[in-house]
Amino acid sequence: MEPVARTSFAPRSFAAHRTASILAGLCGSIFLLFLVAPIARLVAGGGTSGVAELFTDAELRGALWLTAVTATVAMAAGALGGTPLAYLLARRAFRGKAVVAAVLDLPLLIPHPVAGIALLLILGRGSAVGRALLHAGIQVAGSPVGIVCAMVFVSAPLYISAAREAFARVDTRYESVARTLGDPAWRAFRRVTLPLSMRGLIAALVVMWARAVSEFGAIVILTYNPKVASVLAYDRFTGFGLTEALPVAAVLSILALVPLIALRALRPDRGAGMDG
Amino acid sequence: MRVRFVLPAVLAVAASCGRSTPASGSGAIVVYTAASVAIPIRAALDTFAAHQHVAVQQENGGSLDIARKLTELHEIPDVVVLADYDVFPKLLMPGQTTWYAEFARNRMVLAFTNTSKFASQVDSVNWPQILQRPGVQVGRANPDLDPNGYRTLLTMQLAERYYEQPGLYDKLMKLSPAKNMRPREADLVGVLQAGEFDYIWSYESLARATKLRYVTLPSAIDLGTPADTDLYAQATVKVAGKTPKDTLTIKGEPIVYALSIPTRAPHPAAARAFVSFLLSREGRSLLRANKLDALDTPVIIGRGAPASVRAAVSAP
Repeated sequence: MEPVARTSFAPRSFAAHRTASILAGLCGSIFLLFLVAPIARLVAGGGTSGVAELFTDAELRGALWLTAVTATVAMAAGALGGTPLAYLLARRAFRGKAVVAAVLDLPLLIPHPVAGIALLLILGRGSAVGRALLHAGIQVAGSPVGIVCAMVFVSAPLYISAAREAFARVDTRYESVARTLGDPAWRAFRRVTLPLSMRGLIAALVVMWARAVSEFGAIVILTYNPKVASVLAYDRFTGFGLTEALPVAAVLSILALVPLIALRALRPDRGAGMDG
Repeated sequence: MRVRFVLPAVLAVAASCGRSTPASGSGAIVVYTAASVAIPIRAALDTFAAHQHVAVQQENGGSLDIARKLTELHEIPDVVVLADYDVFPKLLMPGQTTWYAEFARNRMVLAFTNTSKFASQVDSVNWPQILQRPGVQVGRANPDLDPNGYRTLLTMQLAERYYEQPGLYDKLMKLSPAKNMRPREADLVGVLQAGEFDYIWSYESLARATKLRYVTLPSAIDLGTPADTDLYAQATVKVAGKTPKDTLTIKGEPIVYALSIPTRAPHPAAARAFVSFLLSREGRSLLRANKLDALDTPVIIGRGAPASVRAAVSAP
């Protein structure tokens, strides 16, 4: 909006920019409605009964709890494994960088049930890795481990690309100054780069967590039971119809708002100037 | 520049708001098909489309899934093909249609691949013992969602009687615990092929269409012979009813496929033409070529079936 407001003082194109502003506003409003209306309808239709069911329906409580735990574990795994990768992609030039970046986006393009099968081929009991995991007592398919794997696979690319952008927005000169003042690379990263990119990183984590919570297709291939909330909502719909499915979906939407708002509110403001 | 980009976007959003019917705006006839017969119905649809120069569209899902789309989401296709004829009287009549035609049958099998454990030894006689060997993983569909899921339970029960092995049902159930379940039988195939399961309870049509190997079960337990209806009726299972807290008792019945044209089908003439073709001699042989056991004489149940459909059924 800002550039439009600033340039609209130029007298010659004032009318054109005014029209553009109105149209953009109209378009934005319709679009916002398009995004919000289905969720509002969902919550209006099933919100009250969903919240009431939280007290009576142990399966629903179990599914929501499992979803929250697995999505958080997936998010932590993404942060742990994805942050160095994102930093590397933002800061270093190396051979094959474009290929690596493209490959990292691939999981976003694969239809999710296919992603589930692909994960099974690598981590299932038919594979060498899967057999080794089983030997170590870790069952992937049919367990929460499978849920986390599916979540990481479909949501980590979103985190990595957003985190890469966040790192790229931090001016390298700040890091150089820290280095010339005697900080080793790790310390410069921890004391300069990380705080300056924290806003962007937290936003990236929020996106990853939300994407993980909403995943269905890959999870249902790897782990149908125990059920996460998305699988339970699908089950209730196909098995019992809309009246049973709406409360599950509504309560998931309501509860997902809490961590989303909390994370957005808690993000530090120190990096505001860098990526605002 | 901005204005030129904005206008089409507004129009696109506005256009997308005005749609309430399923993706049939193009004039294509839309067929909702039970996933287990998706392949033979696809073959019939393609031939029909080539003959008649009409566009066709197929959406596959579980039988109950499809019924819910009509009754709850009010998405009305031109033709509905279900894996369980019972779903018509239970959920779709008289609200969505007044008749249905039974046109094919199927049977339960145990599907497996070359890499399944004991694949070289298993046969129609020793399968209960092979499944119980250590380390064998057996997958099944959810009985609350999918007819194949509760038919699996019925077959296990019938097996206990047939083989006179008390406790066999419980043993077979223990072999495929909740973690080995997937929503529908079609979801099991990929998981079997990935090696996660050694055997899956499935339909003969699906096993053949997906080129899996399979064990044929005795006709007394495979729910595939209409003549054995009384025998099958001795088995009953409880599944979830109208809400997750209710239960519904289901009696063993032969597996018969049925189809219908919804009363409010958007393209009734094209739908009648397709169904007549499917039930004709040519349509039946096409289904058989695609591994679906089409009935020699389809049976129409209910009232109000179109004359052209009746004519196709009674034609020699």
